[in-house]
Amino acid sequence: MTAPALVILAVVIGYPIVDAVIVSFSNYSLLYPAHSFVGASNYHVLVHDPLFWESLRNTLIFTGASVALGMAAGLVLALALERLTGRWRFIRAVLLTPWAVPVIVVAFLFEFMFTNPGGITNALLEDLHIIHSPVPWLTSPGWAMVSVITANVWTQAPFFLLIFTAALAGVPDTVIEAARIDRAGTWSMITHIKLPYLRTAATVGAVLMIIQNFNNFPLIYAMTGGGPANATSTLVVYVYELAFTTFKLGYASAIGVIWLVILLVIVSVFVRLLRSRLS
Amino acid sequence: MRHITGRTVIAVIVGLAGVWTLWPIYWMLSTALKTQQESTTVTPTLWPHVLTGANFSELFSPAIPFWTYFGNSMLTSVLAAVVAVLVSTLAGYGFSRGGFRLSGASSLAVLATQMLPLVVLIGPLYLLLLRAHLLNTYLGLIIGYTTFAIPFGSWMMKGFFDAIPREIEESARVDGYNRLGVLFRVVVPLSVPGLLTTGVFVFMNTWNNLLYPLTLVSTNSRQTLPPGLLQSFSGTFKTDWGGMMAASLITSLPLIIAFFLVQRSMVRGLTAGALAGT
Repeated sequence: MTAPALVILAVVIGYPIVDAVIVSFSNYSLLYPAHSFVGASNYHVLVHDPLFWESLRNTLIFTGASVALGMAAGLVLALALERLTGRWRFIRAVLLTPWAVPVIVVAFLFEFMFTNPGGITNALLEDLHIIHSPVPWLTSPGWAMVSVITANVWTQAPFFLLIFTAALAGVPDTVIEAARIDRAGTWSMITHIKLPYLRTAATVGAVLMIIQNFNNFPLIYAMTGGGPANATSTLVVYVYELAFTTFKLGYASAIGVIWLVILLVIVSVFVRLLRSRLS
Repeated sequence: MRHITGRTVIAVIVGLAGVWTLWPIYWMLSTALKTQQESTTVTPTLWPHVLTGANFSELFSPAIPFWTYFGNSMLTSVLAAVVAVLVSTLAGYGFSRGGFRLSGASSLAVLATQMLPLVVLIGPLYLLLLRAHLLNTYLGLIIGYTTFAIPFGSWMMKGFFDAIPREIEESARVDGYNRLGVLFRVVVPLSVPGLLTTGVFVFMNTWNNLLYPLTLVSTNSRQTLPPGLLQSFSGTFKTDWGGMMAASLITSLPLIIAFFLVQRSMVRGLTAGALAGT
């Protein structure tokens, strides 16, 4: 029973990975079927490619900020909503909705709200006297990154709310009772009793979302296209452009392989953390 | 007194979260109901001063083949979900009962290798489909979707199967069922929420997928919603915000409905595999 499962996984995952590694050592182009092996030259080019380094930096900023902010928001909300009962439970369901909104829609929606002139975000912020002149959300490099991260946190924070809520429900009542008898205050109840129970959920959630955001193509591609001036171009956008706009599949695969290594390192650090805490 | 301050803090947090969550959704809805003229003014109006359904009827006009995209998305996403659930059931059962040690941290490692390569996969996948003459077909797109759905689906299904006690299966085996018989007559009926959750998860992922249809499909009549909408609302229709929001609203409905159907078991599906061993 396990053998067919392993065969299927080997074919759907193993084959493309092996193929990607092989292609990364060639000058494969989607335009010319003929290709030859070029050794490690793609990897040499990569080291001196400023766009690769900029995309890597953008990927780390986008992923790091999205996961950290999403997780913080999800945690605060999960704790705040913990004792909701009966008819108030619909509030949690409402707050989960953004996670079910299609990514392409999130991109359109925030592009529209951040557009300038005519965007509602600038109009509201000016009415409230928070800003005095319109912010170029999507057209200045720094603000464009802020905009895509904002959109991303909007749609992903509910995921963390979901898993933290489940983990909080798993804290044994006896532990809570014991702490209450010891007259633990709300704050020490949260930091000393509840947070330790959320570690596993936090690690799993972070790993899932780090992987997902490394792969987050639709949001950035639809919202900014990687611009302005590559300011929001992450690895996934850059690899796509390389493979399907300039058709350099060999080079694109080399970046893919390096990216795979980087993600594996990040994820194994997280797994290490989880393991050391459990033992 | 302390109690009251605590409640106030919670009320403020929940209120802010509510505004943050609902404002973009309200803005989508209200823009979709505004006239073309009103939705493109430099100083936006907070609510539609003139209500109109024009943005929705525009979606039926030949200018934007919205419903073709919608149909293609529905067809490929549903089929990919069905295929992925079938294969993931077999694979997940194998992982759950096959004597593998895939618990806790080690199963996280499996997950990592499974979810990495979306854009790395696309190059080899493109060439594979090119050689098989499956570019530009529904079948090719569904194969593409399942490549990323099956590993994660198997992982989710393993988590659900782990929760079913083995004793139930043993008694069925005593009754003379073989392994597959046990799986389909005993285990699967007990795992319907798991099957549904995995199916919805795959459906949500494929409904969101822009990369695969963008690269594997170039015929407009076979295109799905994400690349189709991107194409429709760029260039000349770039500032048709009303139409864009109306299309966005309809595009969101299937996902929101599907998500709330399985919301409860979704958490278990996403985390069970990793949490089971810990």
